Amino acid sequence: MMDTYILAIESSCDETSMAVVKNGCEVIALSITTQMDTHAKYGGVVPEIASRMHTEAITFVLEDCLEKAQMKLEDMDAIAVTYAPGLTGSLMVGVESAKILALMYHKPLIAVNHLIGHIYANNLENNMEYPLLALIVSGGHTELLVMEDDYKFKRLGETMDDAIGEAYDKVARVVGLPYPGGPNIEKLARMGSHTYFLPKPVMDDTYNFSYSGLKSAVINLVHNETQRGNDIRKEDLARTFQDIAIDELVRKVDKAFKNTGIKRLVIAGGVSANQYLKSEMSKLCQKYDAELLIPRMLYCTDNAAMIGAAAYPKYLRKEFSSYNLEVSSSADIV
Amino acid sequence: MYTLFIDTHYISLHLALFKDGLVIEEIKKEDVKHSTYFIPLLKELLEKNDVTFDDLSGIIVVNGPGSFTGVRIGVVVAKMISYCKNIPVKAISYLQALSLKYDNDLLIGIKDRNGAFVGSFNRDHDLVLDYFYLSNKELESYPKKIKLDEEINLDMVYKYLKNKEDIDPHLLKPIYVKKIEVGK
Repeated sequence: MMDTYILAIESSCDETSMAVVKNGCEVIALSITTQMDTHAKYGGVVPEIASRMHTEAITFVLEDCLEKAQMKLEDMDAIAVTYAPGLTGSLMVGVESAKILALMYHKPLIAVNHLIGHIYANNLENNMEYPLLALIVSGGHTELLVMEDDYKFKRLGETMDDAIGEAYDKVARVVGLPYPGGPNIEKLARMGSHTYFLPKPVMDDTYNFSYSGLKSAVINLVHNETQRGNDIRKEDLARTFQDIAIDELVRKVDKAFKNTGIKRLVIAGGVSANQYLKSEMSKLCQKYDAELLIPRMLYCTDNAAMIGAAAYPKYLRKEFSSYNLEVSSSADIV
Repeated sequence: MYTLFIDTHYISLHLALFKDGLVIEEIKKEDVKHSTYFIPLLKELLEKNDVTFDDLSGIIVVNGPGSFTGVRIGVVVAKMISYCKNIPVKAISYLQALSLKYDNDLLIGIKDRNGAFVGSFNRDHDLVLDYFYLSNKELESYPKKIKLDEEINLDMVYKYLKNKEDIDPHLLKPIYVKKIEVGK
């Protein structure tokens, strides 16, 4: 079979990224430019600023990507782009760019869901075999899915309120850590011990998650201690929070292993970069003699290579989009 | 030789094709979602006139002021075509384009729902003050006369830009006039 080269574009949040991916698994080139430092000043991503920076970066990123790949746009077989979920204005910069590239070079246009991209990031270094359990953990999502085949998803559970990454960011803000909160909480937690009391989230029989109660408990605790004139032991609070937040994921995945008999776990999304999550999940997988797939750091955070990987099965099935393709701030996998 | 004109700065999508400096086709669509219809409309414009991207020798893009997202769509597409196909691109603000219709110093404004974007130009159509935005209330009591206008003349735009410098597509960006709110 002929090799397939896909140019993929990702601009859903604060990274402008393009990649050339061969056959859905081999990264020929990857360019990423991040706006993180700019948004850090505001304590979070400012959507309008993000859109502006994508606009300014887009042709530079394209140039860099093609140079790294030593390829031309004519050499591509398709143009893939993240169309959802994410910040509308940011997504639009990527989607309009993809459409005009597809039109100029007569290439099919492939619309990719960002979350599915995170799952397919695992195909870049491993080969996903089905069935598998997929845990998506990011700033906007916390979901546990069964994947029976390419693009065949069944949802076991999801968060009923906040996403885990959102809780990390909020807790970071409450204890005065800069954006992005997640990695900073993790760093702090490594130096602390589990000495505070925080309530455990959902104790029911479902696979659902809940993080708003835990988040509120941290906010209340900080508030109360401050009122009493006590210092917060930030490291210990970070550790206690992280233990409970991650333990919640472990419990639900444990139950899924037990009930489904599936022997493979894929972790996707920004929070999959968390080392504590990795070590706990790898212990769990050992217990069930299951295989654990987590992309390396570069492919855990937002990048276009994963979009190219996720576009490939759609390319094979000729699931192409029209030039009317619209962006969407939210999109479910199932 | 063909020149593509792109204007997405406000609620209408405005595209035109020049051949040797003359408008041969103009498409204007009011109140449509830019992100959905812009590329299909561009495709239609080119196909109808049997023109390909490789036949283009220039791009003119209106780079604001107006709706942030609206302007951005036209500018992103202009950047991409210019960069990929190595076609020179020139940008003009809608206010400057309007000023071309007048031969005197003037303040010129374009209305949107809540007020107007205003630019101050000399008789050579150079911008003499930074663009600003006035709310409807401020507009009523503004001490100087502001000429409110809507329709640009494409031939004038083409002639005015003919001898102006091209912009590096990497550096082409929209004009943002309104301030954005940033939560702390």
